[in-house]
Amino acid sequence: MDKKTTQLHSFHESNNAKFIDFGDWSMPFSYEGTLKEHDIVRNSSGFFDVSHMGRLEINYTELDKISTLICSDLINIPVNKALYSIFTNENGNALDDVIFWKFEDKIILIPNASNESKIKSHLLDHKINFIDKSTETVLIAVQGPKTIELMNDRFDIPDKFSTGQSEGYIYARTGYTGEDGIEIMANNSDVDSLISFLTQKGIKPCGLGSRDTLRLEASLPLYGFELTEDITPVEASLSWTITNNRDFLGSDTIKSQLDEGNHKILKKFTIDSRKIARTDTLGSAGDVKGTVTSGNFSPVLNKSIGFIMFENKPSQDLIEFDIRGNLIEGNIVNKRFLS
Amino acid sequence: MSDIKYLETHEWYLINEEVITVGISDFAQNELGDIVYVTLPEVGQTFEKGGAVVEVEATKTVAEAYAPMDCTITEVNTQLETEPETINNDPCGDGWMFKAKVNAIDDSGMSYQEYEAFVS
Repeated sequence: MDKKTTQLHSFHESNNAKFIDFGDWSMPFSYEGTLKEHDIVRNSSGFFDVSHMGRLEINYTELDKISTLICSDLINIPVNKALYSIFTNENGNALDDVIFWKFEDKIILIPNASNESKIKSHLLDHKINFIDKSTETVLIAVQGPKTIELMNDRFDIPDKFSTGQSEGYIYARTGYTGEDGIEIMANNSDVDSLISFLTQKGIKPCGLGSRDTLRLEASLPLYGFELTEDITPVEASLSWTITNNRDFLGSDTIKSQLDEGNHKILKKFTIDSRKIARTDTLGSAGDVKGTVTSGNFSPVLNKSIGFIMFENKPSQDLIEFDIRGNLIEGNIVNKRFLS
Repeated sequence: MSDIKYLETHEWYLINEEVITVGISDFAQNELGDIVYVTLPEVGQTFEKGGAVVEVEATKTVAEAYAPMDCTITEVNTQLETEPETINNDPCGDGWMFKAKVNAIDDSGMSYQEYEAFVS
């Protein structure tokens, strides 16, 4: 079956993008190289076409019902705020990790591309109405320390983790790279104008390759790796997202995990080498066994980093990885990779 | 000295009397993307044709470069230990990986034109 492409596909092609299959989608992997694009986002500003992710518009009448499905308090955060949260199933495991944008008149829900149809079915199963805006809009993430100063002559820049609207665009000061920036939802008819604005400002297109190295370096999880339908937010070390004090799907399991602390646990690690412990690499910290969920090279730290899921809480920080038959030592990191 | 020849596994080799120089093709480096680390063999190690000689870590994936024929390593490109990106920048020149004494000649690789047709 032919892969789906975004509204910006011809732009990507004319900018010599290398493409990668990502679920049902063919998306740009890189233009000038993953490390170069990583550097652009860490030091200047780059933009990502993330239109493969979903965009669902939801009325405030549905807020109480949504609140029974997510682990975070969407009800009490102020209007004009953005919220990262997790849809859980009856076992407390993650169905998806998502972003909500709250506006005065509506809520926008952004699920992962790979989970969009699952989340839509889940909402319908719980009699939650939504309008699917995915085909009539694009989603562009502009990221990097120079983003705000480059964009503030055209966009009213909201505070961090807040939403904004101007010139028909709706957006939030959020992102997935650890850098400042805004993520913009634009109608298809406004795409060309938006892209020419970005390119005139010298903001470069970046692909999913650097998006992955950036999010990993920023200590952010990726659904399908750090979160799955077999992992709870507690196990993924995302307990900070559990702010919903009402009952929600699987909240009993989640609360008992929080109380008892007896569960598998995701940890970050570094290896003092560029040898990468990739997904499914086995590692052990003493007699506690673990499996790497994501691993890659960190351009900023100039070493290998990653996430590993341990069977239970490790009692030491030293990890021994089995990388294709070689034993390589790494260390658990308890703070973020980048300060 | 003969011309550079290519393997279906995307290595190139150059035979000069009894010594081969081996690296990976421009197509291979382009497919791998940014190369961040290589594990080179030891001088004196012996490989059979098809044996995994070099491990190449890229941000996208990990790959191996195989011995084009039975050989014994005589020299490795130590520049790659600190500057693995040399393979991306000049795969068939400064990005060579190892030199080896040929133990059993097998000059069955593809010509440039044949390889171009193979990868396109």
